[in-house]
Amino acid sequence: MGVPALFRWLSQKYPKIVSQVIEEKPGDIDGQKIPVNMAGPNPNGEEFDNLYLDMNGIVHPCSHPEDRPPPATEEDMMVAIFEYTDRVVNMVRPRKLLMIAVDGVAPRAKMNQQRSRRFRSAQEAKQKDDDKEEFLKLLKSQNGGALHEDATAMAQKKTWDSNAITPGTPFMHTLAESLRYWCAYKVNTDPAWEKVKILLSDASVPGEGEHKIMEFIRSQRSSPEHDPNTRHVIYGLDADLIMLGLATHEPHFRVLREDVFFQESKGRTCHICGQKGHIAEACKGEAKQKEGDFGEKDKALTDKPFIWLHVSVLREYLEVELHVPQQPFRFDLERALDDWVFMCFFVGNDFLPHLPSLDIRENGIDTLIAIWRDNIPLMGSYVTKDGHVDLERAQFILDGLAKQEDAIFRRRRETEQRRDANAKRRKLNEQNQNNGQNSGNGKFGGPGGRRGSPDYSSPSNGGGRGGRAKDPILAPLDMPLFVPGKGPLTKEERTVTHDMVVNRGAVYKANAANKSAAAALKSQLLSGGQPETASDLNNSPAKQEDGEDGPGDVAEDADATTTPVSASKKRKAEMMEDEDAGTPGRDSPVGSGNPVVDPDEPPPDNVRLWEEGYADRYYETKFHVDPKDIAFRNLVAKSYVEGLAWVLLYYFQGCPSWTWYYPYHYAPFAADFVEMDKMKVEFEKGRIFKPYEQLMGVLPAASNHAIPAVFHPLMTDEDSDIRDFYPEDFPVDLNGKKFAWQGVAILPFIDEKRLLDAMATKYPLLTPEEHARNERGKDVLIMSDRHPLYEEIATNFYSKRQGSPKYKLNPSVSEGLAGKVEKNNEYIPQSSLACPLRDGSMPDLEEDHSISVHYEMPRSIHVHKSMLLRGVKFLPPTLDRADIEATRGRANSSGRSFGGA
Amino acid sequence: MDSFAIHPVNRFAGSSAAIRRPKEIAYFSYDDEHKFHLDERSLRYYYPPRLGADLSKGFNTFQQLNDTADDHLDSLLNTIIDLERRTGTKCTADIITWRGMMTKIMATPFDNMNGFEMNATRFQDSIFIEENHEHKIESKKAQQDQPSRPGAPSQDLMAYWGYKFETLSLMPDQWDPTSRDFIEGREDMVVNNHAQYCSVVKTGIGKAKMVIGGEVDALWDCKPDGKDNPINWVELKTSAEIENDKDNMKYERKLLKFWIQSFLLGVPKIIIGFRSKNGILQRLEELETKNIPTMVKKQGRGTWDGNLCINFTASFLDWLKQTIIGEGVWRIRRRQRSPVVEVFRKEES
Ligand SMILES: [Mg+2]
Repeated sequence: MGVPALFRWLSQKYPKIVSQVIEEKPGDIDGQKIPVNMAGPNPNGEEFDNLYLDMNGIVHPCSHPEDRPPPATEEDMMVAIFEYTDRVVNMVRPRKLLMIAVDGVAPRAKMNQQRSRRFRSAQEAKQKDDDKEEFLKLLKSQNGGALHEDATAMAQKKTWDSNAITPGTPFMHTLAESLRYWCAYKVNTDPAWEKVKILLSDASVPGEGEHKIMEFIRSQRSSPEHDPNTRHVIYGLDADLIMLGLATHEPHFRVLREDVFFQESKGRTCHICGQKGHIAEACKGEAKQKEGDFGEKDKALTDKPFIWLHVSVLREYLEVELHVPQQPFRFDLERALDDWVFMCFFVGNDFLPHLPSLDIRENGIDTLIAIWRDNIPLMGSYVTKDGHVDLERAQFILDGLAKQEDAIFRRRRETEQRRDANAKRRKLNEQNQNNGQNSGNGKFGGPGGRRGSPDYSSPSNGGGRGGRAKDPILAPLDMPLFVPGKGPLTKEERTVTHDMVVNRGAVYKANAANKSAAAALKSQLLSGGQPETASDLNNSPAKQEDGEDGPGDVAEDADATTTPVSASKKRKAEMMEDEDAGTPGRDSPVGSGNPVVDPDEPPPDNVRLWEEGYADRYYETKFHVDPKDIAFRNLVAKSYVEGLAWVLLYYFQGCPSWTWYYPYHYAPFAADFVEMDKMKVEFEKGRIFKPYEQLMGVLPAASNHAIPAVFHPLMTDEDSDIRDFYPEDFPVDLNGKKFAWQGVAILPFIDEKRLLDAMATKYPLLTPEEHARNERGKDVLIMSDRHPLYEEIATNFYSKRQGSPKYKLNPSVSEGLAGKVEKNNEYIPQSSLACPLRDGSMPDLEEDHSISVHYEMPRSIHVHKSMLLRGVKFLPPTLDRADIEATRGRANSSGRSFGGA
Repeated sequence: MDSFAIHPVNRFAGSSAAIRRPKEIAYFSYDDEHKFHLDERSLRYYYPPRLGADLSKGFNTFQQLNDTADDHLDSLLNTIIDLERRTGTKCTADIITWRGMMTKIMATPFDNMNGFEMNATRFQDSIFIEENHEHKIESKKAQQDQPSRPGAPSQDLMAYWGYKFETLSLMPDQWDPTSRDFIEGREDMVVNNHAQYCSVVKTGIGKAKMVIGGEVDALWDCKPDGKDNPINWVELKTSAEIENDKDNMKYERKLLKFWIQSFLLGVPKIIIGFRSKNGILQRLEELETKNIPTMVKKQGRGTWDGNLCINFTASFLDWLKQTIIGEGVWRIRRRQRSPVVEVFRKEES
């Protein structure tokens, strides 16, 4: 779920769910790296059975890190992924199972979001490349062509297209191969891995990574041999993994993630030249300084601490919070938890836009829980049951919200106005101060700096021709590079910075917000080329204490003085939290290019939710339907109800339909949900997209390098039947928000039939290798030949008396792992292990002591019940009396009787 | 008449005689009407009941088994005959009996209050032991005639609580295929104690090889694939909540029976439903059968000793094998508080 603020909200409301991970770091003796001994006891004082890696949460940050230069080659990326994975595994030290799940083809409902993110990402990448080119040109002219080759090389490199992280691409193929190799390599070389079974589900297996993990856990729970006291850890970046954890009803469950509150102020590197000590915006393109031993370059990323999120502790909180005194039916924590997860869906999920009146930042979940508590006596039971919504009861919740909707919008407006007024006052104060200092600035002085008021006509410095004037945010090219009246500048002061050139607009705007451009420039030059905005980027702790929000949603809350530069930097932290980390999308910014939004002067909001008649205006503006067409609104609401039912099933039972999706860009109002009890929601399982179909469904033409060439003309040719699916430009609707990246990308929805028809003509032209990449793959189980399970499997598949082709695992030998295995024809017993990376970074092994088989989860035909399993033993509670009283007090004082509902 | 001295029991102390882990060799079921079937239709699975449930609920609709008829060893023998026919091999053992008889024998060193009377017959190399039905009826009557404390629940109601607890805790299938409605509806189900799943096991204590039949309550997970793997059976029991020393003492004595019963059939886990005085289920406790003797020794008052029971049984059975050597029906008897077990030939056949 791309709900960046969810994590912050959770950890503030339920503080004891978070604790620090105690991590053993690799030792160092005389420069020799001593690896962590995973076989040793877990330094956290507890051992864990199973570790699940939502692998996209590793692949994204490793392949295009936000805080250091990207790996030079895809092979380097693989090595970075190995190192990061190794670190995570060493932290958790799973004793039974390691599951590595890479996102495969996603349900159609998810593809709308993927599409939006990938289109935006391509736009952003293009902007970055344009910037670099511009910068290079400028540097050359500035230094008379003498440019250090390190910087040149770095800047010349095209921005790596993170859209390659989509099933079916050559990159994902390489990733799967590399992971298979690496797991086998670890099994061969690390004694602690000999005891662990490794389950690898690569991108060729359909389903989102975390949902493949969920499916696996449910499948094990359905097996009678499953140990209900299995200690699970899931690693990933999504804030909602903790909800998936709750949804398993396995109480010994933790989420592992990087500490997003940890502010790394050092170690950031410029993404232009790859050097430390300055940020891209201040890049001068200087020679690379010699760095110490290898490995240091990774410090910034590897040193970020990790935290646990304890599902068990969240269960304790919710047991108190969700208990309604004198409720007329039996309290059932497991059912109540499901309802709670359901309430969270309203506020944000990857498959539906959230309701206009619900925002995590306005405590939307609390609003819903208060309504839920109020309605418990009326509903007579829980809203959901084993992943199914009772629509009659859900109507109570939406009715409750509908009653508050107008008030919520008005309150939101008041808060915004208050904030704006405060910001303005602050700005005015600052301006007064600055004006005092900068008197006599001549034509560079004065406030202003707004779009449309440039008045900078100094002589050109000779750099960077090229008409950027069409871009309204950019300051004029001939921005002075010296401070008038200060005399000759030192060489250092004169050095052009990347930021001045490429991000002129940003610096200009940033400073224009609170002082004159000339003053800004002056202070920048005097500080040695660091634009003032740099202080924003460093996210110093002091800044945070200042009431600035932690990463994740800072920009959203930031007041109007926040510059686009810092906003864009902050949202990077946010994207790290996103499911599709680093791929801009619905919640991510478009680049500094098109479309551009001025936070000071957002386009007029024609809907004005705070004014009467907003619903009419909303449907007219957003949906382009007659305000009198109430039936249409109910139709939208009906689709939304289907969406809620779909999401709930997806979380609790597995994908109910691969083809269903919400066919609008916007959500209805709570008031539009009527007669829900009469609705019938049914899903048809549908056909799963093939990888190339998904690629054609979510990638923009600019990313066509990731798609087989035969399909390219479909995206670009004028006479292509589906050319309209791939617009280069698309509107972004701010939808009442301040920043473009918070807006809604208005992309046409893919018509499945048209897409498949168009592609059908091209399929016969694929090469055999391309064909193979489009095939559905299987989960792979890898283990050491020293693992007790090896003997059984080897005897069944490779002895003279071979058994059945599918072999049912014996849980008493497999340590509880249930399922079937099948011979993997790619695996040849007693052969060598070849490394697919050809750059020599990882070795081949002469003798491979691992075995690889295909694995099939046990498939239950029954509904997975939201219940604890027999034999669960709980740990001593974490919450003390005071925590419980406080939680209960807060819960009891919410809702109707206290003016809530 | 021959007699076997129980006392001094100390001569049986020390590490235990060899025991053979019980292994299921056959099974049978009684259905809801207590009809015999050579299958596992009455096999049940455990899923914990809701705490707070009222064990008295539905007492008036209890469908209680009438066990006044003498069933002898019929079902056990039928099952063994079927087994022999299926496998084509003779099922040999020194002792063939119901688990209940062995429980009485094994508890003898620490149970002075309850006597027993059994009938035994030697056929070929095996001694078949069954309860003397008249004695069973008599002692049951004597128990019923005991005046219960005023205000205390009746014997019948307390017996019902045990069956109710089973109904609340059992499912006819594993958790996954069982519907939520069934699991949650167990509190409203009519209690019927006609159905039973009986396991027939081969086991041994000391030199005596035995085939024992007895009811097992439930499976914890599922029957293992391999025939030789132990089965994770669950035994269900209820007990009054322990409030004072006297309760504790009573409970410890109860544990002796629980332990022996489960030990004999190889039931590894006992789940005890603690109830309030008026039959409200308060909490559950899972006990590992193998840990119970140590638990009693270390945490309890040490009112009994498991090894001693095993050694006593080994000696007694050894002696019995040498004593019952002729045709006809033999009586094995221990009178209340008697220091000896008597064995004598009741009649020639
Ligand atoms: Mg994912």
